[in-house]
Amino acid sequence: METLTTEIMVLGGGPGGYAAAFYAADKGRKVILVDRAERLGGVCLNFGCIPSKALLHATKLIREANESSARGVSFGAPKINLEKLRAWKDSVLEKLGQGLSGLSQKRGVELLRGRGYFEDSRTLRVETKEGQRFISYEKAIIAVGSRPAMPPAFDLGNPRVMTSTEALEIEEIPKNLLVVGGGYIGMELGTVYAALGSEVVLTEALSSILLGVDSDLIRPVMRFAEKAFKEVRLNAKVVKMATSGKQIKVILTVNGEQREEIYDRVLVSVGRAPNCKDLGLENTKVTLDERGFIQVNGQRRTSDPAVYAIGDIVGGALLAHKASKEARIAVEAISGESSSFKDVIIPAVVFTDPEVAWCGLTEAEAKEKGISVQVARFPWAASGRAMTLDRTDGLTKLIIDPQTERILGVGIVGAGAGELISEGVLAVQMGATAKDVADSVHPHPTLSETLMECAEVFYGYSTHTLARKKG
Amino acid sequence: MDIRVPRLAEGVESATVANILVSEGGKIEKDQVILELETEKAVGPIPSPASGRVTKIHVKEGDEVAIGQVLISLAEEGAREQAPKEKRDQLGKAETGVPAPQEPARATEEPLAGEYRYESRSGFPPPASPSVRKIAQDLAIDLTRVKGSERGGRITLEDLKAYIQHLQQLAYAPKAAAEKAEKAVAKGVDFSRWGSIQKERLSSLRRKVGQRMYDSWSTIPHITQLDEADITELMSLRKKYGPPFEKKGAHLTLMPFALKAVAAVLKKYPIFNSSLDEAAGEIVYKEYFHIGIAVDTEAGLIVPVLRDVDRKGLLDLAVELNELVEKTRQRKISLEELQGGTFTISNQGGIGGGHFTPIINKPEAAILGLGRGALRPMVKKGKVESRLMLPLCLSYDHRLIDGAAAVRFMNELVQALENFPEKALKG
Repeated sequence: METLTTEIMVLGGGPGGYAAAFYAADKGRKVILVDRAERLGGVCLNFGCIPSKALLHATKLIREANESSARGVSFGAPKINLEKLRAWKDSVLEKLGQGLSGLSQKRGVELLRGRGYFEDSRTLRVETKEGQRFISYEKAIIAVGSRPAMPPAFDLGNPRVMTSTEALEIEEIPKNLLVVGGGYIGMELGTVYAALGSEVVLTEALSSILLGVDSDLIRPVMRFAEKAFKEVRLNAKVVKMATSGKQIKVILTVNGEQREEIYDRVLVSVGRAPNCKDLGLENTKVTLDERGFIQVNGQRRTSDPAVYAIGDIVGGALLAHKASKEARIAVEAISGESSSFKDVIIPAVVFTDPEVAWCGLTEAEAKEKGISVQVARFPWAASGRAMTLDRTDGLTKLIIDPQTERILGVGIVGAGAGELISEGVLAVQMGATAKDVADSVHPHPTLSETLMECAEVFYGYSTHTLARKKG
Repeated sequence: MDIRVPRLAEGVESATVANILVSEGGKIEKDQVILELETEKAVGPIPSPASGRVTKIHVKEGDEVAIGQVLISLAEEGAREQAPKEKRDQLGKAETGVPAPQEPARATEEPLAGEYRYESRSGFPPPASPSVRKIAQDLAIDLTRVKGSERGGRITLEDLKAYIQHLQQLAYAPKAAAEKAEKAVAKGVDFSRWGSIQKERLSSLRRKVGQRMYDSWSTIPHITQLDEADITELMSLRKKYGPPFEKKGAHLTLMPFALKAVAAVLKKYPIFNSSLDEAAGEIVYKEYFHIGIAVDTEAGLIVPVLRDVDRKGLLDLAVELNELVEKTRQRKISLEELQGGTFTISNQGGIGGGHFTPIINKPEAAILGLGRGALRPMVKKGKVESRLMLPLCLSYDHRLIDGAAAVRFMNELVQALENFPEKALKG
């Protein structure tokens, strides 16, 4: 079979890979996109961001309907048709996937479905359904992503021990569910299952959920979780799991004390691991770091001059939008531009209830690095809009350089924080000062006002709170 | 109306803005001093020709301005207040009749290549939009060296352009660049490593004096001839005629005597009253005797010129001298009064001091330094007597003047001071 030749070969069809392929095509390059999945979109579209948000949206309604009775509007008990829910979620994925295929086709990006394997620095072998194909390329962009980590001690080969991938399929609503790991995946999926009616116990080995996030932003989420979940256990470690009939026996230590518990299902969400194996990277000059991520420079070039890598596979924040940004940088670098990942602000959102979002410098990071900052906080209890939404469980904060008044970081917890953070990203990325935000009129009544008022808090003249004068 | 740079003095085409004494939006009266312009060694006040409100200041301190250049725009009293055009456009029609809000003054300092450095306490890069950052990256410009003009020091595209233009200017002016580099090296020493320090910005006058001294010292081969004059008799004359002079409003000091004596000797030795025109290869002899007097002011050294010293009587000289020194100390001296000197006297006697080596006030050919008169045992007609001796120091341009001429000049001067004719005091 003849060898395909192309300028740019992108391996992996997730938000990093397809963004790179599309951008390269838009720049007039000949591109082949190789993905092993039937549907483009990678983990994000198929097993991550999109399905989890679809489920969170559906289940959020359950909670809102519940709480609505206190406001004089009552609904009956929800009836959950799991099949229909799953079908709706899948329809969203299908639509998005088809959209990507269409966009790919219209751009003239050649799609090759199959597993890719590097024969050498300039050749990829692809195992397609129709047999082996070889691609000879000038530059490769690896964007094969990551997968849920499954420690061997938990890997029973029993479908009742799930990763996020299986959990998103919601085969059933277990009576009780153990969520191992209080990171964003555990928290989000725990919220889904709890809303659907499972008794959820969440264990976290460390002293806090969502580790790394500022504690004042975590507090409202923790308060919600303690109410929605049966239990949130911190400093609890799962030692061992075993199949016990139609259930899972779990041995864990809580505050040093060993316990044995039985669950219908277990969700293991203890992190993600790079998909570096079986790629034939050893046939290239690509090197890995000690955690198994591909090593790249600011332009996302690997130690192999012909090979670039982006997204989860290079580590850092394992986020779709980070991958997409890296896609632009890598394609621009290949096109001879001097783009670099340096000084790029990557926001993060946790879609818990309430949502947590932040960007730039966090208060914790400033403290740890000894950076002198001033923090302005605006509690949502002072927001009229939050009150009308019955969601005063929020906080907006700005991390400010006291010398220049420049906004170095923004943190938000509250309903819709994920949408609100973008203004923060713009502010930090543009080098805006608190004055710039305070002086920009925000519409009333909206939650976005909390950003303006928070900046005003810094200057001591926020209308709706009594802020201390800027010292 | 626009207030422009007036004609300052003969031959002076430009000046430096030393101080701006009004602010945009501020009201000013007619004849109120709006700013001070500095030329050569003088700072001249620029009064406002009318009353009104300052709508715009077109210059900033340190700017080089030329005659006719607009300094300040003034909305005259009675005239309708008018916002600048672009501002009106920006604000739209709703603002008619409302005074335009004041624009805050821009940062006064130009971004200087090689000097400015962004200091990041937070580890964040200098504030700039992603588009500006991208352009800087494409051009390999280090943004930490670009001074931002917006809030929080944010760098705009304009700032980047200004910086690049500045670099280009430097690139095409290798000498200036070399000087800058030298300065940067001198600046490199961190004296605070060895103890506490205090910093003070060089005033523009100080800088100017420094430049002139350096220029004179490094381009003229200086010789300083030292001598002493017995001024015992002169001082008794001063004592005798002090009170009658005082009655006529003149304070009689050593200086009028020295001026008179110097003028007389200069007439005899015109080379000391000349200038070297290097370009033309000529010696320019001046047939007038305008003597500069080094005056120590709070701001630094200024040299006003006393005109036609040879033609003036001692009384006139004493009166004029006092006025000139007073005006100089108050920095009210006009540019005209600082120009046209043919010789300079630097008298340190008021403060103390013996011999020293004064630096020639270029383009003059010589300078006379006076120390403080002191009582010395002197042998006179075989007997030791206590005499008041005045240290004299004559620095001269050795390209024009030979040592022998200097000795003759000095001998003559000593004679003139020692045998000062009493009739000159009787006026």
